[in-house]
Parts: sequence; structure tokens; C-alpha cells
Amino acid sequence: MIQLHVEPVGEKHLRISGINPVVLDCLHALPEVLAQRDSPKARARLLPDPTTADEKTNADWQRLIAPELRHVFVSAGETVARDLTGLAPDASDPQSLAVTFPVEHVAAWMSALNQARLILGELHKVTDADMSASDFNLKRAKGLAVFRIHVLGYLLHLFIELEAGK
Amino acid sequence: MAQPGVIRIEETETKDALDTPWNVIVLNDPINLMSYVTMVFQRVFGYPRDKAERLMLEVHNNGRSLVWSGGHEHAEHYVHQLHSYQLLSHMEKSS
Repeated sequence: MIQLHVEPVGEKHLRISGINPVVLDCLHALPEVLAQRDSPKARARLLPDPTTADEKTNADWQRLIAPELRHVFVSAGETVARDLTGLAPDASDPQSLAVTFPVEHVAAWMSALNQARLILGELHKVTDADMSASDFNLKRAKGLAVFRIHVLGYLLHLFIELEAGK
Repeated sequence: MAQPGVIRIEETETKDALDTPWNVIVLNDPINLMSYVTMVFQRVFGYPRDKAERLMLEVHNNGRSLVWSGGHEHAEHYVHQLHSYQLLSHMEKSS
């Protein structure tokens, strides 16, 4: 059972609390997952062509726009990795951890979480059927990947709800 | 006579190129959350929640949705924005 919460701390910070060992494992895996963003499959998913037929536009895009987007994606991952160094025991629940970070980092968190989900999805060829399955074989790489996609998705959804409530 | 005619043709071609509508298409993928796609449509296009949800469901149910149509530069800008949010999208000339 995941008891994650994302909540404001004053006006300038956010706090993720209720980070249990399962969630912690997924968060600790983030840098390793994001480091695979340049694998051909992940790259094609994260930095796709802007047209299906215009080769010149696609080539210009890959030369000029894709590196800029990649830089933004890398920067988001680095921000989250730095924030995660602040993980500490949750004062309200000694069994879990919490992390507090500046509210300006929300976009980076959402980007990094979504990147990681997409990278895992591409590398493990995750399908709609995989995402709908209720059982995960965590001893298999694909089962673990789908499980992590769901856990990171739950955290991402909490950020979306928080943003919607603004 | 010939010279002004050439100029007129070039102007027409340029105008046609600018006037041809471009469609911004978003494709379904198994990973992106429905709530995330809705949020992105609201942020990128400024759509109200109900319209963003309708388009998201179109992507989810039909595999793709035409989410915006207009000039080339704007279409390029929107595809850039959608890619920055990691939505699978592209632009194509309206047929």
C-alpha cells in the first residue's frame, strides 16, 4: 500500500512524504533509468521527428531543436537527482522517508518522472496490455519495469492533482 | 509584362504556402497518463478542461487526434511544446 503525499510546505517548497521502501527503490532507480535516454529506442521516443514526410524539416529539427530539448530533459533529471540527496526520515512516520524541495522544481520532477516512465516503456516494449495487467512478475525485467512505471505514474499523478488545485 | 508576372506568381506561391493549414496530431502511447495528457493540452493550447479531456479521449480511443490546425510557424511551435512535455506528436499539411 502506497501512502504517498505531495503537499506544499509554506509558499516556496513542496514535500513528498510517505516514501516507503518500494517507492524509494523506484526513485533511486531514476538516475539509472534516465541515463538510458540516448539509447536508440528511448531517443526516438523522447526526441521524435516533427513531421512524417518532410525530411528536410525533420533533419533541421534533429540538428537544431532536439539538442535543446535533450538539454532540458537532462537538466530536469539532474535537478531531481540533487533533490533526492535530501531524502530524510519522515518525522510523522518513522517507517518512511520524505523529501522537501523548492516549488520551482515541480516542472523538473514531472518531466523526469515522465521521461523515466517513457524510457522504461520503450526499452521493455511495454504495451497497453502490459499496463492493464494487475500482476507483476518483479523477478523479470519487464515486470519490474511495468511496476516502476505505475509507481512513478502514481507520484506524477499526485503532482498533476497538486498543479490542478492551484 | 513578364517581370511583374513572375513577381506576382512568387507572391502567390508564398501566400499559398503560408495559408495552407497545418494539422498538429497527437498519437496515443501506452505510457502517458490520461490526466497528464489533459494537463498538457490545457497548458500548451490554453484549452478549457472539458475540451482538453475530449481531445485526450480521442487520442486514447482512436489512437490519434487532431488537436490544432493553423499556420506553419504556430504548428511548429506547438509540436515543440508537445515534445517538451514528451507527448508523441507531429505536424502534417491539411489535405
